[in-house]
Amino acid sequence: MNNCVKLFSLANRGSFLTRASPQVVGKKFESTAKDGYIYVNKDDPSMEMKDITDRAAQTMFLTELFRGFAVTLAHVFKEPATINYPFEKGPLSPRFRGEHALRRYPSGEERCIACKLCEAICPAQAITIEAEERADGSRRTTRYDIDMTKCIYCGFCQEACPVDAIVEGPNFEYSTETHEELLYNKEKLLNNGDKWESEIATNIYADHLYR
Amino acid sequence: MAKFFGLDKLAYLFRIMKENGGIRSSLYKLYRMDDLKMGTLMGIDKCGNKYFENNRYFFGRNRWVEYAPKYGTDYDASQVPSEWYGWLHYKTDLTPDKDPSRPIYKWMSEPTENMSGFSGAYIPYSTTKPKIEAWVPPKPS
Repeated sequence: MNNCVKLFSLANRGSFLTRASPQVVGKKFESTAKDGYIYVNKDDPSMEMKDITDRAAQTMFLTELFRGFAVTLAHVFKEPATINYPFEKGPLSPRFRGEHALRRYPSGEERCIACKLCEAICPAQAITIEAEERADGSRRTTRYDIDMTKCIYCGFCQEACPVDAIVEGPNFEYSTETHEELLYNKEKLLNNGDKWESEIATNIYADHLYR
Repeated sequence: MAKFFGLDKLAYLFRIMKENGGIRSSLYKLYRMDDLKMGTLMGIDKCGNKYFENNRYFFGRNRWVEYAPKYGTDYDASQVPSEWYGWLHYKTDLTPDKDPSRPIYKWMSEPTENMSGFSGAYIPYSTTKPKIEAWVPPKPS
């Protein structure tokens, strides 16, 4: 900042420029720290005769090899730090974004009103919706397809949804053998909702103070 | 003294084997689950899976599921129903029978496992009429 002010004042008085400019540059480089670093690496091994002999003896008599074996043996009897999936499972957040599901109202009526906000916001354009008037006059989807292989699991669809119909459920164990099994249609999504409603509703309740 | 020689560990092993129902069944469990553990039974779901907890183990290993005997060695993580999913994943400390806020509606479906690769696998189909239909040439009468 100080240098900038100086440069500005020098520019106004051109005659001083040639004499003053080395000063400005010199001051800039002066501010760097001298010898102000901390040595973070391991110190070099001692080069005393006794220490060199000790190290040579350790290498020669293989003590380091056996000390290594001892560490390995000790770890055999330790409790493993890994979890035994699928019997034990890792912790998961209520906000986890997994497999999609279409939810229903407690009465059993499907929530989706085909507003197509999720289709519009989807950055991967994985959602396809077609809507029609149902026999009772309400607006419903006739096609609600999600290409799960296009989906990037960003969660924008569930944030865009005004009726909490499309949600990303907690399930992540839906790996398939083929590609086509991941092209979900409306019925599959509704079945997912029926299957996972207990957990989805609990997750939404767990997060209700932050929504 | 017994502790110094690690005999208490051996006694614990025998207790685990006793809890798991003798040598034969312990060996089968070791074969099936790659692990032999002892814990308090927290509940049994409608598929017959048993859920255990023992806080002697560290967080992440202190809750586990023992899949129902009918599955044999064809157990899969997707056989855990949604009611127990949250408890097993440490989202809640309440087991479903103790959690009053967990909804129960009559339209909720039975838990199904991931059927990919079997005859029950999901195959996509269109849920609406095709927009374009092929032209059927008129028959000359």
